[in-house]
Amino acid sequence: MTPLAHGVGSQHDLPISPFYAFAGAFAALFVSFLALGLLWSDSRFQGDRSGRPLPSAVRRLADAPATRAALRLLGLAGALFVVLHLLLGPDDPARNPAPGALYVLLWVGLIPASLLLGPVWRLLNPLRTLHRLLPARHPRPLPPRLGLWPAAAGLLAFTWLELVAPEPTSPPVLLAFLGAHTAVHLIGAARHGDRWFAHADAFEVYSTLLARLSPLGRRADGQLVLRNPFHGLDATPPTPGLVATLCVLLGSTAYDGFSDAPSWITTVQTSPLGRTPTATLGLLGAVALVAGLYCLCSGAVRLADRELPHPLTAFAHSLLPIALGYLVAHYTTLFVTEGPRTVMVALGTDNALAPAPPLTPGGLATLQVGAVVTGHVVGVVAAHDRSVRLLPPARAVAGQLPLLLLMITYTLGGIGLLIA
Amino acid sequence: MCARRAAGLVLAVLVVLAGAGCGGPASTHHKPGTSHQEATGTAGALLDARDESGHRLREVAAGGAPRVELSARPDSEDGWNLHLTVAHFRFTPESTGGAALPGRGHAHLLVDGRKTARIYGPWHHLPATALATPGRHTLTVRLYADDHTAWAVAGRPVEATATVTKGDGPQDAPHDGPHDGPHDGPGKNGEATHPQPPAADRTVEITVTGSTVEPAPSRIEVERGARIALRVTSDRADTLHVHGYDRTTPLPAGRPATLTFTADRTGLFEVETHGSGLVLTQLVVR
Repeated sequence: MTPLAHGVGSQHDLPISPFYAFAGAFAALFVSFLALGLLWSDSRFQGDRSGRPLPSAVRRLADAPATRAALRLLGLAGALFVVLHLLLGPDDPARNPAPGALYVLLWVGLIPASLLLGPVWRLLNPLRTLHRLLPARHPRPLPPRLGLWPAAAGLLAFTWLELVAPEPTSPPVLLAFLGAHTAVHLIGAARHGDRWFAHADAFEVYSTLLARLSPLGRRADGQLVLRNPFHGLDATPPTPGLVATLCVLLGSTAYDGFSDAPSWITTVQTSPLGRTPTATLGLLGAVALVAGLYCLCSGAVRLADRELPHPLTAFAHSLLPIALGYLVAHYTTLFVTEGPRTVMVALGTDNALAPAPPLTPGGLATLQVGAVVTGHVVGVVAAHDRSVRLLPPARAVAGQLPLLLLMITYTLGGIGLLIA
Repeated sequence: MCARRAAGLVLAVLVVLAGAGCGGPASTHHKPGTSHQEATGTAGALLDARDESGHRLREVAAGGAPRVELSARPDSEDGWNLHLTVAHFRFTPESTGGAALPGRGHAHLLVDGRKTARIYGPWHHLPATALATPGRHTLTVRLYADDHTAWAVAGRPVEATATVTKGDGPQDAPHDGPHDGPHDGPGKNGEATHPQPPAADRTVEITVTGSTVEPAPSRIEVERGARIALRVTSDRADTLHVHGYDRTTPLPAGRPATLTFTADRTGLFEVETHGSGLVLTQLVVR
């Protein structure tokens, strides 16, 4: 395995042709400036106060202890399956389904699952189940400034493993990662109780954040409701570390994009620092660039309103749809080709071949650009609604200009990565 | 107290995981009962004569003795497909290493008299790179019993031969037939029955020195369906691998090796070396 390839998968998407790139970039710019002039001037999103309750039978089924127990068992069985295959299976990702289960079915599969069904990993999380099996005790409160910072670190570690580590699919490496992950979170949960997972477990935070854009959600009163994803996104709690988590998601996906470029491959292969350190610097640089741009632009919002209390976290939720657009653009092919292959290997098919990508190059380019631009539009709308709520009416339009510029930069950058 | 117990449990899990991780992958070479030791079977009579690798011959009566014929058909992408037509013989890879039973065993493939592969079934693919030099080569298949003695009739091992001619480029010309006569030159077998693989549409030359790839990694754009020849010279022995198509070929140190294949899947594929883990180039197939 080369240190430069995806953790799994043997094929990358074709670079898109300039036509799709220009069309996407034009659409993004057009919508952005249209939004400035035409969108509402009073905040419309109500966060977790909105939503239509689901039929009571559905709610009872979803909240039934039996359903919860079945999901916990499913998660535990999946974890056991992966660990046993890592322990006993061959050291060859073509014959061992465990790396694919982790990098494709879990990491990429959580995206559609969370978008459709809500924060599913919270229900499946085998670490939560293990924690429940341990004797209960009096948890200490979480430090208030902890926020999502441990999850941001965990996400960075996982993406480093997938994109930078020399042997991302080797069972000993994966076992070491999973062992460390298990240890950290069981100790954390033993100290602070199970709310530790919602703040620190990278997979759970990732799934919960993506579920903000799901039509299924919970209202503030705990009711399971069907709601407009914009309201769900608006309800994202402004936790410390939210910006860092989203910047890691955006930056690592961007790194995945440009790590395919021949010029970056040459840089890494000829670097005097060695390949892994150079690639690590590249990943950290991508995250730092994304974060630096965000801090610069959201800080500039203060130029419009000096009293705005937390400009950084106030607009962080609007990065989420952009990150989702990047994720969909980069991982759709991997999911539809390596996902079925992993399932085939898990079912015992010898020499399983990944199915050919179902989309033509043109169709795929449309999907990729469409995902990036849609993420951009949703982000612009979310940031607009937040700025008309927080900023004085006279300065609301001027105040969101830095954010609009930021999002245009991200989107053009994202489309640029699809060409590269 | 409970925290300590939890930590202890976690530690135990870690120790188990680490222990299992350090064991390394289990070797699949030499499963129990598949060693090269000769077992003495009862079928036929052992002769004192030995083959090139020192295995003794096992004489059986001509009537009902194993027979083999060999034909070599050119593969559309690389090398030849060898077909072994056997009579009074069954391939029994599951009992290799056991006692010699009449009419059972496996075959050896010899290229110019040197053993290159053990054959466990009627079909075998011989890549063009298995032949070191361009020109004519003699392929021999010989039948062996499970105990690695060679089946023999009248003191001679049961075998069949065919000759193939390796061209300079990808156009490898086959000559087949169990007892091949003096065929000359490619094309004599007829284009219709043995279509020649078409010449490469695109030949890419790459040199690897240490961790330097010359020319530097770039993107090679080809139409879907094009035949691509990768001619790679590495300063150390390595393996060339084309992702997605999953084609590999050994790279001998300092000598060029050519991998020719048809790019029949669209996408962006990496060409890399396995040993040094270098990306040599990327194929953009549209």
